[in-house]
Amino acid sequence: MDNELIVFLLVCIPLAGSFLLPLVRLISEETRNLTALLLVLASLVASLFMMPVVLTGETVTVQLAGVNLFYADKLAVFMAFVSSLVGSIIVLYSFGYISHYEHRDEYYFMVVLFLGAMMGLIFSRNLLALYLFWEITAIACWRLIGFFRDRNYVVKADKAFLVTVFGALMMLLGFIMIGTQTGSFDIGIIKKVLAGKHLPNIAVMLILLGILSKSATVPLHTWLPDAGVAPSPVTALLHAAVLVKIGVYVYARLFVASFDIDEIWHTIVPIIAGVSALVSAGAALVETDLKRIIAYSTISQLGFIFLGLAIGNNIGIVGGLLYILMHSIAKGGLFLCAGIVEQNAKTKDITRLGGLISVMPITAISFILCAFSVMGIPPFGGFFGKYMVIAGALSGDKMFIAMLFLVGAFMTIIYLFRVFVMIFLGESKLSLQNIREGSNVMVFSVALLAMLSVASGIFIKFPFDFVQSAVRQMTGGLL
Amino acid sequence: MSVLLILVPLAAVLIMNLPLHKLMRKLAFWVGLVLCMLQAVLIIRMPIGFWNTQPDLLYRLLLFRPFTDNLAFVMFLSIAIVGFVSLLVARYAIENDGSKLFNFTNLLLLAMAGMNGLVVSRDLFSLYVFLEVSAVASFILIAFNNGKDALEGTFKYLVLSAVATAMILSAIGLLMTVTGSVSFKTLSSVMGPNSGNPVVLLAVALLLGGLFIKSGLVPFHGWVPDAYSSAPSATSILLAGIVTKTTGVYALIRVVTKMNLLTHQVQVLVMAVAAVSIVVGALAALGQSDFKRMLAYSSISQVGYIILGLGIGSNLALAGAVFHLFNHAIFKSLLFVNAAAVEKQTGTRNMDILGGISDKMPVTGFTSVIAFLSTAGIPPLSGFWSKLIIIIAAWKAGFHVYALIAILASLLTLAYFLSMQRRVFFGKLASGFEDLKEANLWILVPACLLAAITIGLGLCIPWLLNSFLLPIRSIL
Repeated sequence: MDNELIVFLLVCIPLAGSFLLPLVRLISEETRNLTALLLVLASLVASLFMMPVVLTGETVTVQLAGVNLFYADKLAVFMAFVSSLVGSIIVLYSFGYISHYEHRDEYYFMVVLFLGAMMGLIFSRNLLALYLFWEITAIACWRLIGFFRDRNYVVKADKAFLVTVFGALMMLLGFIMIGTQTGSFDIGIIKKVLAGKHLPNIAVMLILLGILSKSATVPLHTWLPDAGVAPSPVTALLHAAVLVKIGVYVYARLFVASFDIDEIWHTIVPIIAGVSALVSAGAALVETDLKRIIAYSTISQLGFIFLGLAIGNNIGIVGGLLYILMHSIAKGGLFLCAGIVEQNAKTKDITRLGGLISVMPITAISFILCAFSVMGIPPFGGFFGKYMVIAGALSGDKMFIAMLFLVGAFMTIIYLFRVFVMIFLGESKLSLQNIREGSNVMVFSVALLAMLSVASGIFIKFPFDFVQSAVRQMTGGLL
Repeated sequence: MSVLLILVPLAAVLIMNLPLHKLMRKLAFWVGLVLCMLQAVLIIRMPIGFWNTQPDLLYRLLLFRPFTDNLAFVMFLSIAIVGFVSLLVARYAIENDGSKLFNFTNLLLLAMAGMNGLVVSRDLFSLYVFLEVSAVASFILIAFNNGKDALEGTFKYLVLSAVATAMILSAIGLLMTVTGSVSFKTLSSVMGPNSGNPVVLLAVALLLGGLFIKSGLVPFHGWVPDAYSSAPSATSILLAGIVTKTTGVYALIRVVTKMNLLTHQVQVLVMAVAAVSIVVGALAALGQSDFKRMLAYSSISQVGYIILGLGIGSNLALAGAVFHLFNHAIFKSLLFVNAAAVEKQTGTRNMDILGGISDKMPVTGFTSVIAFLSTAGIPPLSGFWSKLIIIIAAWKAGFHVYALIAILASLLTLAYFLSMQRRVFFGKLASGFEDLKEANLWILVPACLLAAITIGLGLCIPWLLNSFLLPIRSIL
């Protein structure tokens, strides 16, 4: 098959297919669930197909109506692989989790639409297309966060929508600035016109506002813990695997792979990231709501990714990209475990839980394996990502920032152990009699993510080699 | 042949009112529908040359030669679509009262004839006459149900319209004394040398003021919320979707561009009024709890965007303004259709009582989401593209502050519509609505049609932009 066609289908199958899901429901519930999974798997398979293609150093550009719409290089394929992998597992998990709530049609519609828009965003070569897909993810998020329809929940969904749209509008203004300056919205053409000159600082700042709001970094982070009211697979999708990675991906795409920015941003962004990592780690230490703790942890870990990407040397960038993969898998696992606990124990308050390891052993073990990865304990996958990020900071002579993040890493270990001990160990304050392990698909999904966390650390060579060559391509400036 | 678009609705009204056969009154509704559809189909199918030809005989009879360009096409199409939708909603809301439906159809066709005439006018005076024709028809349409609120709304509209008319008419008189003509052609060449003439300046000020009132721009917007919210649902659609847009906004665009009015002072004035309308309309909408009142304020804010595009004055900006005018006709009509469905099914439009009704009315809920996202300028819906074009044009022309205002006001738009969604559609079903049913096909068909246009246009924009929208300026 044509490579262009594969990239096109990779985006369009889930995007267009999502609209058919409510119709497929007319056949049967199971058919719709399977179709949803297949649509997401199609993206996964297509991105696997693209891997050998881009590994040879080739890049693929898809044109539509005379506009360069999509562009596939190593970075894009890597990101598409990560999101569709975790996305598929989350859809599988949803089969069990969502089956006893109302509005299931809307749920699958929005989840698949969301993943399709994510794919579109990853492959966008045009700034306007990027913005377009960016907002589609925001719409899907809004419906999904308000899924349970309680008044409070909808208010929080509105808040998430407004904060991210505020950022996105600022970003759009930045895009318009660049577009009017260079006469095009095509990333490749803009790069040629700029010819090594810096982007204007105001445009960088406006675009950063968008990125920070989507990737929930202090001070635009407050919507993320609140969005924990969504169903757990949704929080896994939004907070861990996909949504928050949009910001860091766009950062990598625009400011690392495509345009040059002023030297000063290589200091400002790591400092913002450092503050964000510490503040949210502190919040995670004192929270008592399980999902809020993991959400704060996400904000904190995103700081590490930003640090790696923004520090301005290849070691850091490799670390940042690796940590995108590791964090997606591990944090997805943590949220899905939290979903099982929440659904079966009927509470998210960790002070009221305890001793659950005796009734849900697989979940407990999966939880601690994923937690190890996020903490950065060798040989789990997260270790390599974190290590390289901090090594990047050190080799960039940013001693102070590296220390800041070491403290952040230490706090991560403390709060994740605290959560594990309070939920799974010790004496239970609830009666354990009615609490059982989650349904089979749910347990299978979390176990799979836990296994992936371990495997990605043991077989670190494969993702590492791929990421390394991707970074070489990015900084070599092929586009 | 665009003169037919004026004559045929007028003739239809005359014929239907002849006391020939009982059946005529029953058929009126269908005749109206067919005429609207015919207008839409012909506009799409026939080339511009067809519309600009006119047999000599007709000219000698009427002494009126219409003038059609791309902009007029956009307006004809909007008029036809909104008229069609409004008729269907009238059928839904009025149900089986035959004589009321008959009256409604007549008035609607009259308003349509007026608007079509206004669109093709090539002189200031015919523009004024047709403006009055559609205005008179809409006064009656607002007061259609003789309710106390409706009469109050009509009265406000009537009084302010009278002021506007007086201003426009005196402007025409003053211009006539200076230039000896009212045709746009003469006026456009005479305006330049006379720009220091105080009489001309006064005339321009009066003209703009009158049209600002007609467009419902802040600070002349007092009549808009009352008229829109107190009118029957079908009238609100017609009024918000097209009547004020033609009699006010389109007339403004025509007058300003045709007469080369856009000097620096006028530009500053127009853009300031536009920016204030955008912000004040959005802020006022935030505080509303009546569904239709919120939509009315939203209308004021969106008209601000159109006028902003006019004020910037570049090709791109005008294309954006015209596109936004069309989009506004589509998505605001859709929102009023939704409001009509909600009001009829639940018996209220107080958003504090409603809640979570998209569980019971899924189609209405879904189409309202499409419409509000389009209004707020969220891609990939059509409203996003027109706003984007206006904002890009503002930035390119160096109006950075205005671009920032326009962008941030999108956030306000999103905020009030999210609050509307939360209070009406999205959420837990409010108590007392357990037996709620989805509205019938008379209203679901137009809702789906408008939603399809919004989505389809949004997706096809790369093709539309260069072939249709950008050439508009070259013909203006």
